[in-house]
Formats: sequence, C-alpha cells, structure tokens
Amino acid sequence: MLKLFKNISGDKAIWAVVALLALFSFLPVYSSSSNLVYVVGNGTTMGHLVKHALLLFLGFGIIYGVHKIPSHFFKGLSLIAMPIVLILLIFTLAQGTTSGGTNASRWIRLPLVGLGFQPSNLAAVVLMIYVARYLTKIKDKVVTFTESILPLWVPVFLTIVLILPANFSTAAIIFSMVLMLCFLGGYPIKYLLGIIGTGIAFLAIFILTAKAAPDLFPNRVDTWMSRVDNFTNPEDTDADYQIERAKIAIATGGFLGEGAGKSVQKNFLPQSSSDFIYAIIVEEYGLVGGFVVMFFYLLLLFRIIVVANGSATIFGKLLVLGVGLPIVFQALINMAVAVELFPVTGQNLPLISMGGTSSWMICLAIGIILSVSNKDAEIEESDSSENIDETNPLEILSGQL
Amino acid sequence: MPVTDKGILTRLYFVAGGLFLFAAAVMFKLVSIQMVDGDKYKDLADKRTSKMFTIAPNRGNLYSDDGSLLATSVSRYTIRFDAVTVKDKTFNENVKPLANSLAKLLGKTPSHYQQVLRKAKANKNRYTLLARNLDYSDYMAVKEFPLLKLGPYKGGLIVEQKTVREHPLGKIAERSVGYERIDENGYYTRVGLEGAFGQYLGGVEGKRLKQKIAKGQWKPIGTDNIVEPQDGYDVISTIDVNIQDIAHHALLKQLDYYKADHGCVIVMETKTGEVKAISNLGRTKEGKYYERLNYAIGESHEPGSTFKLMNIVAALEDGIIDTSSVKDTEKGYWKIYKHRVRDSKHGGYGKITMSKAFEVSSNTAFAKMIHNGYKENPERYVNRLMNMGLHKELGMPIKGEGKPVIRYPGDKGWSGLSLAQMAYGYEVSVTPMQTLAFYNAIANDGEMVKPRLIKEVKEWNRTVEVFDKEVLNPSICSKETISKVKQLLKNTVEKKHGTGHGLYSPNFSMAGKTGTCQKDYVSKDPDKLKYISTFAGYFPADNPKYSCIVVIHEPDKSVGYYGADVSGPVFKSVAQKVYATSPLVDEINMEDVKDGNLDSSYQKYYVQAQKKQTTVPNVKGMCGMDAVAILENLGLNVEIQGNGKVKKQSVTKGTEISKVKNKIVLVLS
Repeated sequence: MLKLFKNISGDKAIWAVVALLALFSFLPVYSSSSNLVYVVGNGTTMGHLVKHALLLFLGFGIIYGVHKIPSHFFKGLSLIAMPIVLILLIFTLAQGTTSGGTNASRWIRLPLVGLGFQPSNLAAVVLMIYVARYLTKIKDKVVTFTESILPLWVPVFLTIVLILPANFSTAAIIFSMVLMLCFLGGYPIKYLLGIIGTGIAFLAIFILTAKAAPDLFPNRVDTWMSRVDNFTNPEDTDADYQIERAKIAIATGGFLGEGAGKSVQKNFLPQSSSDFIYAIIVEEYGLVGGFVVMFFYLLLLFRIIVVANGSATIFGKLLVLGVGLPIVFQALINMAVAVELFPVTGQNLPLISMGGTSSWMICLAIGIILSVSNKDAEIEESDSSENIDETNPLEILSGQL
Repeated sequence: MPVTDKGILTRLYFVAGGLFLFAAAVMFKLVSIQMVDGDKYKDLADKRTSKMFTIAPNRGNLYSDDGSLLATSVSRYTIRFDAVTVKDKTFNENVKPLANSLAKLLGKTPSHYQQVLRKAKANKNRYTLLARNLDYSDYMAVKEFPLLKLGPYKGGLIVEQKTVREHPLGKIAERSVGYERIDENGYYTRVGLEGAFGQYLGGVEGKRLKQKIAKGQWKPIGTDNIVEPQDGYDVISTIDVNIQDIAHHALLKQLDYYKADHGCVIVMETKTGEVKAISNLGRTKEGKYYERLNYAIGESHEPGSTFKLMNIVAALEDGIIDTSSVKDTEKGYWKIYKHRVRDSKHGGYGKITMSKAFEVSSNTAFAKMIHNGYKENPERYVNRLMNMGLHKELGMPIKGEGKPVIRYPGDKGWSGLSLAQMAYGYEVSVTPMQTLAFYNAIANDGEMVKPRLIKEVKEWNRTVEVFDKEVLNPSICSKETISKVKQLLKNTVEKKHGTGHGLYSPNFSMAGKTGTCQKDYVSKDPDKLKYISTFAGYFPADNPKYSCIVVIHEPDKSVGYYGADVSGPVFKSVAQKVYATSPLVDEINMEDVKDGNLDSSYQKYYVQAQKKQTTVPNVKGMCGMDAVAILENLGLNVEIQGNGKVKKQSVTKGTEISKVKNKIVLVLS
C-alpha cells in the first residue's frame, strides 16, 4: 500500500479532491439507491453500494494507470483512438435500441463484464485530446479556415453528428467544449463564430427533418422539444415533476440539511442517484453540503488551471484544459439542472453520481491531467520528442518515445 | 498564428472567470430556492409526502348485567383469488384439490369452485371472490388450502380483513343494543345502547404520522405513535338477558296472535330504575316481526286509561275526591257540551265509588271527576301533572326520546272538553317509558327514579365509572295517596270486576292498569279506527320488585283489542317467568336433626368399606346403595332387583373374590 502511495505522482491536490469526492459519493449514492431498490424494484441497496465501490475502485485503477503514461503519448493515442471511437459510435447508433419510439441508443453492452458503456463519453475525451493535438500542431502557423476543415472540423462534426440523435445534451456539451478549447488554443475567433453559425444551422436542419419525417431516422427530437418547452414555460405541468421535486428537496434541506440518509424526495425523484443527486445532497446535507461539493469542483478547476499553467508544453496545457474543464463544466451543468438554471439534461455529477462506466471516462481524464502534472516526466520527455512526426502513429508505437 | 503560453493563460482566465460566474449563479439560485421559495416548497413537501394516519381503536364490548355479551367486535375475512400471479403449472396441479377443500368448507359443489377458478384463470381475473365474511377459524383453514397456502404471490391469495359488530343474542333487543355508524361525511347515526354509549365504547383514535416512500407506500415516521390509540371501554348495561328473552318472546307471541302493527315491552327494576328488558317489535310486510324502531322510548302517543292513574293521584293530592267518593256513571255515557263520554260497558256501572271506577276503568266517572273538580281552575290540574314531571322528557341517553305533550289552558288545542278528555288519557301524549317511570314511582313509594340502561363502564377488570340510580323526583305525591292508589292497582287485578282480573293468579300478586286507547279516531270511519292496548303495572303487588309496561299498537280488531286481553297476557307471562326465575329469598335455619338409623347404617357401611376384603362380605340387611358401593369397589359386578334393604345376595359371604365369575344379584326388599 505504502509502495503504491510512493508511486503516486502528479498533483497531490487533485488526487486529494478526487479521492474526497469519491469517498463522499458513497453517502448520497447509498442513500438514494433506496429509490432504485424500493421504488423501481431493482437490486438491493448493498448491491448498489458494492457495485459503486467496485466501479470507483476500477476507476482509480484507471487513474493510476493513465497517470503513469507520459503525457505526449496521448497525441498519438488520440490519432489511433479517433477512428475506433467513430466506429463504436456508428455501431451504437446502428444497434438502434429504441425505447417507446425514441432513440435511446446510447449504450453498448461490454462483453464479459456485462456492464453498459456509453461510447459518447469516451468519444468526448478522445476528441478533446485530438483537438488539443491539432491546436498544438498549428501553434506557430497562421491557419486558414479551409486548411483546418479536414484535420479539425471533420472529425469534430462526425463525432457530434453520431452522438446527436441519441444524446443531444452530450453532443452540445462536447461541441461547446471543443469551441472553448479552440478559443484557448488561439484558433481565430472569427472562424469560431462561423462554426457556431454552421452548427446552429445544422441543428435546425436536423430538427426540421426529424419533424417533417419522423420515421426517416431514429431521434429524440420530441423529447428535447418538450424538455426545453418545460424549461421556458413558467406554468406548472406534470412534466415539471422532476424539477419540482428537486426544488422541494433543496428547500427542505435548509442550512444544515435533514441528515444523512433522511432524504424524502429521493424516492420521488427519478434518477435521484445520478442526474438529480445534487438535490439529494442539498436535502441531506443542507446548503453547507451543497457549497462544500461546489467548492471541491472549483478547487479542481483551480488545480487544473495551476497544472495547465505549470505545464511546460503547449500540448500539455491544452490537454489538461481540454480534458479537465469538461469535468467541471459537466458538474456545473448538473447542479444548474437541479436548481432549474438549465433545462433537464442527462448529465451526471462527475465522481459522485452512480453513473457506471461513465465515471471511468472521468477517471481517464483525471489520469491524463495527473500525467501532465507529473512535471519531471514531462520535461524529460519534452526534449527528446522535439523532432518526432507526431502525425504518424506508427512511429509513436515503435517505442522510440 | 503564434500561440504563446501567455496567450493561453489570458484566455484561460477568461474561461475560468466564466465558469466561476456560472458556479456563482448556481449557488445564488440554490440560496434563493431556499430563502425565497423555501416555505412554498416545504409546504409542498409536507402535503405531498406526509400524512396523518388514524389508527382505529378496538371498540369495547357491550354486556348485559350478568356478563353475557350483547355486542362485540369480531374480525371477518373476505377471500379473493388472483389468477394471474399463479403459474399455470401450479394452478393446474392444485385447482382440483383447492376446489374440493373450498367445497368442503363453504358448502357448494367442488365443480362449482373448479369452474369459478378456471374461469378466473381464463379471464385473467386478479380479484375473484371466493368467500365472504369468514370467521377467524375458517380463515385460518382457507390459508392452509392447496395453492392458497403458497401465499399472495405464488398462490394468488388475497385477504381482506374487516371488523364487524356481532350480536351474539341475535335479533333479541337488537334495536336497543343498536349501532353506531359514521358516514363518509363524518355524520354519526347513533341508535340504541351502542349509540348512547358510543363515547365509552368507541375509544380514542390513534394518530401516526407517515411518510410517503412511493405510490401507495407509506412508512411510519419515528418510533412512537403521535397519539396512542385507546381501546374502547366495555359497557355493562342493565339489560338482563333472561328477562329480555322472556319479554321478547312473550311480546312476539302476542303480536303474532293479534297481527298487531307493533308493540313494546319494558321491564324495569323498581328500586333502581334499571331497565332489565326492552323489546320493540314491528311488523314487516311479510307479517314477520323484528326490532325496527325504539317505540318504547321514541313513540309518544295518547296513553288512554293508563293515564287514569296520574289523574286519580292528582285528584287525591288536590283533595278533589277520595277513593270512597261516589260518582254516577249514568247509563254508560255522559254528555258534556256536544261530546259523549262513554264507558266500555253498555249501560254503565251505576253509582260507584272512585276506587271501583278506577278498577273498572270508567271513563264517565273520571271525566266527571276531573271536569267537575278542576273546571273552575284547570291550571291547578295541569300544574299538578307538571309537578309530577309528566311534561318533561326523562332524559334517556338513547337518541330520539319522544316528547310528552301536556297542554296548558290557553295553549293551542285546549278547549272546554280538554279536562274531560285528559281524564281518561286523551289530549295528552307520553311515551311508554314515561308512563312506566310514573307507575314505577308509585311502586317505589313515590320516589321517581330515572330509567337507566347502563350500569358500569369497565376497562378489562378495572371499573372506570359506575352509574348509580338517579332520582328524578324524591316524592311525586304523599305517602297516603301512594298507599291508596297501590291498593287500587292491586284490586284491578285481584277483584273480580277489575279490568285486569284476567291476569289474576293465586300464586303471585300483580298490580296494574289496563288501557285501551283509540287511534286515528278523527276520521270517523269505523274501519280506520285502530286501538292501542296497554298494560302497565308492577309485581309483586306488595313490595314490588319490577315494574313493566306492555304497549301493543293496532291489534287486529276482529281478534281483540282490549288492553287486558292483548297486552295483559304479555305482562302476566313476563311477571310469571321473572317471578319463577327470581324467587324471593327466604332463609330457613335447619336444625341438624340426628337420625339414629341413618347413623348406625352409615357406621356399618363405613366399617365394611374400610376393611381390606379378599372375600365377599355379608351385605344382608344393608341399604342397597351401601351394598352396591361396597361390592363394586371390590371389582364385582352387581345387579339389583327391587329397592330398600338387601334381603338376599346370590353369592354367599366368604367366597373368594377372585372366584366370583358371575354377577352378584342382590334382592332388595
């Protein structure tokens, strides 16, 4: 064990934040699993707890493993992973598990372990690394828009288009994160504006096509429309049920909360163990609990900035920001949904929600950040990797690096 | 486009600032939900997720005065069957044995139940009725039946429990035992003793706060109930099951015989006012009788001649007449204004004393007495009646006591005829219970006690409240008047000319007054004329123990309608049986008489019995019973012929017992 701790490298604060959030997650997950057990009638509370523990344990394994990989490896890995991810996404979409007429094909079942896996989560991480790599590559050039279409925007749009029919919110978040990363990486703002325009236009065409010919391809347009509609419509309708319950939970929490396990609304909030877990945290631990959780995410954000700042290479900086900021962003979105700042999306609270394999992707991202923060290794590698043609993945795999 | 570290950092601060603002907005919204809308959502939470549940307490038992159960709460079970939850295989295996078991318990054919079950299975019926209102032991049996013993999920057993009120005595006193019902609006219908003592029997509802955990699922909050349910107390009523039974059947028999519309009997203990029996029977269209309404307490009607007792008491008190005053009954009718007061006997009774007038129930004599005696000052008469409390309700705990009507001069309906009419019980209205209370007061030497239906309230063995007798009026009239009218009431039964002489029995004494009252006389149509036959009195005539009133409405005129004929026998039968079952206790101290013969024969027996015998003893000359006892104790078979003392024994003395094979025959003298 001690040996394991000795081998831990990278930013200790991030390790601490991640460990604390993961440890804390057991409380709300255990509490709200009663919803799954007694209301939905699925499994046992202990079973859910063990499963959560197992997933987190494996997640930490991923963090540990990934953070040992020198950060520049990710450049090449992203090149290899990109086409694999796209194939996975196509496969997922094509299997077309439609539930009640809507396309909810976000999952593929992992063989052997029997766990559900969302390729979109993996796609997000891989895409961000890929974009970071591209931005690093063009850091000294002045690129024209046409020049960047093929290496940058084609993979981005392919990924997003493949995610969009099944999961609008994830697609939108990935898109905005890509834009943010491009902005950070110095990609010309005027081009970005053009891309945003294209994106909106594309989305409009997509929705209109879906509306006009609903049977043409599987989609969830109606679900999005009703969710957005509920958010903008001030009247209380039955569809506001989740949000109202979440607000009831927040209101009953008070300053110090009802106490661990004493949440009432967990039984009425669907997804109380994942999407609405923040409301349950506030109900059980009060404003104090809510703020502490928020503080830890902001602390994570702060440490990500620190790591980015401290990274010697541009790629390191962009990599950390590219995989790190989405974690914080997703956390904020999740909380914003619970307090009705945002329409209902299916985003987990990273590291806390009982999210299954999606938490592994968070762990992957954390591992990457830690890898970058591992300065000794980075500096050592940065000298030797100057002259390598990073576009050639075979060269990377040759072990020369 | 040279990208520098610094450039990235600057833009990063910009993005991070945005994220911080976002976080700040979330926190602000969080606080605002709690502070601004907090109360609204907290209310909503309470409304949606917590509810006060009531826990029904167990209702107390209602007992008769000797501890017999009049009403108690028992559980009843309704069994239903969910045909969908049962697997086809299990169903097919078990349907036959289950149908057989059901048929055995519930009495229909096995094929019937098989059909019911198969139909339920075919129609996917999840709520098939199998049996309704089973008692606990039957329910336990059903739970062990094939298939159903697998429980609700595998066996499809659905059990619904409810608590019902049972009356172990059945229809007897059903109306007086009554019930208490609450409808969906929270209105109570309270009938009889159950209704009257609902506050004791009912107990206190418990309260439990529960929290909703899902649709239709509630979990209790905290370890204790907010309010513990408190079971109802047991109420011991004054009703005596035996007397009630006697009264019920005597009344039923008479109503049946006279095809009367309805009637009631009340039996009351003279000293205490405890109502020992109260029976109300009404006729249904089919000619059956059952406890319909509480006529005894609720029905106020013109009493007729039973009211003559009140009048003669009033007249004696006011010194208007004396029992020996003579009145001329004329020729059986007396004309006053344009009205004729008739006697029931054609041609009248001639000149008779007031005591005889009472005994023969002469309307003319009474009309004359009251009219002439009070016409100068009718208020005095009415005041006298009111002094005796006849215009007041008794304040019975049972709902719906009838209001007595005693008009005051000048009231609406009062006329010059009123005094004469009231003299024989018209233009006034009282309930049977009120009349009985007055007769009871006479029997009780002037002390008017309130009729009571409750004796004691108990919680298990602990007495919660004891109800003692309540005196309404310690003395309704002078002792002198009492003893005079007591004699009159006794004479009514005992004297040959008395209207109640038909009841006379040399074995026990009764005192009372008949009443035959016309009903619906306004119509002048003789067919519509109906009668109310009454007998009110007490027994034994001297030192009365019980008073009793029998009122029978609308007997079939072709069979008879006089109070003495219709109601009298009920009274007599109640009196006779009560008399027989509750004899007066006479204590006799017997001297211990020595009987020399008995002692010596016992000594002889004792000596023989104590010896250890191996041979047959000599039992000659012993009493038969002693001889048999001795021989049989030795293990011998004995046959006796005749009775008295032993004359002969078939096996002689000294024979070894082991050698005796046959019966020993004893010939007794």
